[in-house]
Amino acid sequence: MKYDFAVIGAGPAGYVAAKKAASAGLKVVMVEKKKLGGVCLNEGCVPSKTLLQAAKTYHHAKHGSIFGVEAGSLSFDFGKAHAHKNSVMDRMRDGIAGLMKKHKVEVIEGEATLVKGGFSVNGETHEAENILLCTGSSPTIPPIPGIEAEHIVDSTGILNNETLPENLVIVGGGVIGCEFACVYASVGVPVTVLEAMPEICPNLDSEISAILRKELEKKGVTFVLGAKVESFEGKSVRYNLEGESKDMDADLVLIATGRRPNVSDLGLEDIGLDFDPRGGVKVDQRGATNLPGVWAAGDITGQAWLAHAASRMAEVVVHNITGQKDIMRHDTMPAVVYTSPEVAVVGLTKEEATERGFKVKTGKIPMAINARYIAENPGEEGMCKVVLDADTNRLLGVHMVGGACSEMIFGATAMLETELREEEIAEIVFPHPTTSEIMKDVFMAVR
Amino acid sequence: MATPVIMPRQGQSVESCILTEWKVQSGDTVAEGDVLAVIETDKASFDLESTASGTVLELFWEADDDVPVLANVLVIGEEGENIDEFRPADSGGTSAPEPVAASTSDTNIPAVETTAQPQETIAPSVGSVSAPSAGISPRARKKAMHAGVDAEILVGTGPGGRVIERDVDAFLSGSPRLSAAARVRAQDGLEAPKYGSGIAGMALASDMREPGAIDGADVTPVKGIRKLIADKMMQSLQGTAQLTLHSSFDATACQQYRKKRLADGESKVSINDLVAKAILSALKLHPEMNAHFLGDRLAVFHEVNLGIAVDSPRGLMVPVVEGASTMSLEMLSAEIKKKAIACRDGTIQPDDLSGGTFTLTNLGMLGVENFTPVLNPPEIAILGVGGISVKPKRQEDGEISFVDQISLSLTIDHQAIDGAPAARFLQTFVNHLETHPGENPQNIEGEE
Repeated sequence: MKYDFAVIGAGPAGYVAAKKAASAGLKVVMVEKKKLGGVCLNEGCVPSKTLLQAAKTYHHAKHGSIFGVEAGSLSFDFGKAHAHKNSVMDRMRDGIAGLMKKHKVEVIEGEATLVKGGFSVNGETHEAENILLCTGSSPTIPPIPGIEAEHIVDSTGILNNETLPENLVIVGGGVIGCEFACVYASVGVPVTVLEAMPEICPNLDSEISAILRKELEKKGVTFVLGAKVESFEGKSVRYNLEGESKDMDADLVLIATGRRPNVSDLGLEDIGLDFDPRGGVKVDQRGATNLPGVWAAGDITGQAWLAHAASRMAEVVVHNITGQKDIMRHDTMPAVVYTSPEVAVVGLTKEEATERGFKVKTGKIPMAINARYIAENPGEEGMCKVVLDADTNRLLGVHMVGGACSEMIFGATAMLETELREEEIAEIVFPHPTTSEIMKDVFMAVR
Repeated sequence: MATPVIMPRQGQSVESCILTEWKVQSGDTVAEGDVLAVIETDKASFDLESTASGTVLELFWEADDDVPVLANVLVIGEEGENIDEFRPADSGGTSAPEPVAASTSDTNIPAVETTAQPQETIAPSVGSVSAPSAGISPRARKKAMHAGVDAEILVGTGPGGRVIERDVDAFLSGSPRLSAAARVRAQDGLEAPKYGSGIAGMALASDMREPGAIDGADVTPVKGIRKLIADKMMQSLQGTAQLTLHSSFDATACQQYRKKRLADGESKVSINDLVAKAILSALKLHPEMNAHFLGDRLAVFHEVNLGIAVDSPRGLMVPVVEGASTMSLEMLSAEIKKKAIACRDGTIQPDDLSGGTFTLTNLGMLGVENFTPVLNPPEIAILGVGGISVKPKRQEDGEISFVDQISLSLTIDHQAIDGAPAARFLQTFVNHLETHPGENPQNIEGEE
């Protein structure tokens, strides 16, 4: 068969690209070896957010007394939470299947390998004018002795764990580690996070990371910073802290040390595809690889590790294939940690901006000055921080922790995409009373 | 008492100088002799030194302005003094800058056409922040309002600079949407590319560039020395009948001569010096080659003013060794060296860059085997020297041996002289280098 556009991988890059290309009139095929929806829908964003919401609901019920709500005897049925999670996933997968059908995208179940001018799957070879590689990523498993034990799982494995452990040890205090720490700690499981770096989520603004850490500690998470895990023996975890080996017992261990692009078994080396030093498929701003007609988007490129970034990269690729100019702008890509409180950031940190040669000024205010925020999040610390170019007053970055700030970060993204300056932002009206007003007020603190 | 510093006259033919860089700013205290600015004639660059002591009250020009000689460049005095009387009439002025695109409003050409570029750039229709003095036509205002364009920022091409409908059209057809930060830079005179790198092609601050910019290229205006070379080369190729004769000479004698000088403890001379000397020697026998072709007249000079092409950081320069015909080899060598260094250092005087009667150009040290030199009109001949290559040569005894051979290319203006006399000049020249390198012409007179 000959296709205009072949998509390898049905995640947030793949199905977005397939739908968009089919809408533009291309003959499109999408190949998926597991389930529609990719990591995001099956092993990442969607299931974890469902469990986080379950944990949040329990937490609110338990701590409702400040609002006069007493829930009496409270119980948590993890199995039911999983059932809800599974139903959400089923529904979303059906949604994608329906979308593909509606747009006449042919979906093939199987493992694709690339060949010159096309791909082969299930023993058949097909031609394709353009191919999009978007096979996602998998959790990395560091070579720690004893890591094969059954009670040690990665982020995919823990999503299928339906019983609450006596305690949980998480190796890695990044975004994934923090989100699962929040789920389990909120429902009363003692959680310890072993992080090798001096602070959790080291890519975030350090003040934001510190607030997130303190808030998770309030929920019962213990953070051991600068801890390097050495081995697992039985239920014991041995780690090194400041040169000293320590042991702790763990009923369940989550390995959350990062992800790596899924680039193997695709025949990529055989067709001569270039990789970047981090192991991802090397692409330019348009998503083009070194081979004409071969494109890549999402985690396989080793960039961003975000579903929405993958979708956007896919959109850029389809635009370029269909003759519309478009390029990826990673600088304005928002990122969220879906803990309680949430962290939402977009743009440059002060350090990044300074490194790029900007003369920087910053402003920050606590969320606690915002009426809506303290009404809804009593006792919770939060912060909004902005980074500006001191020469032009242009907004360069917004960094927030507190409440459901993920829902308002798009506003900051729009400001960055249009390069708004302090002067223009001052004229934007924010509805009152909303937490978003913090983004207006923070400019009063800029210096 | 406020004192102006004027643009000095740099040589007889110079009418204006480019002010390439300010070394002081308003408010600085300067002493007599301090360097105020770097200025550049079409041939070389110089330091502008202060002729007074005091405070810099005002700079009348901006960097890159073309300043007429004898015009006031800046004024020095005591703070608070009135300096209006010194302000030159035609300066750009730093205190009251003209709107960047204002010049287009004096003409009836639409703004888009005045800066028509082969590449994808838009016209700087967005000019100064100040409102157009001649107003905005109601039709233009309405159209601009519908398109969400601020008509106040458009540059008008209507009567007296009035913004009319076509100005709005030109703006809409050629320009991407500008981000807020990019718009500020547009007001500074920068231009947006047709397609920006922002959302839906929006031009971002980082996309904004100098008018006339080209994607993937560093663009600089052609001015100063580059402009002079460009004009002169075009004038040369369009205004003369160039014919190039190729030849070569056996460098053995030159090499032996240089070795002997070293052995005798004499000063070191280069092959190029020996070539220069040989030119002078050959011109003595063929003076018709030492001439200017002036269209209706032919001036054959008694003395040789030898031009030497020099590769300087500012571009090709041709300093002239005046009165070269009477110089000893040592003097000639020293003089060539001195002029070349002055060119490379940028200290060469403009008058040293004109008046040549014959030019020597050498690309041998850069590995060039052969090239066709371009005449330096009104001169009628230029000799190009290539590099050394090993070539077989039949010796007097009939045996073939390998010798170092240096290639030559003599370009002449066929309007002024024919191929045969030029070839005879070359023969004399080659003979000199192969038999009497470094010697004075009188020693070989009569050999021809």
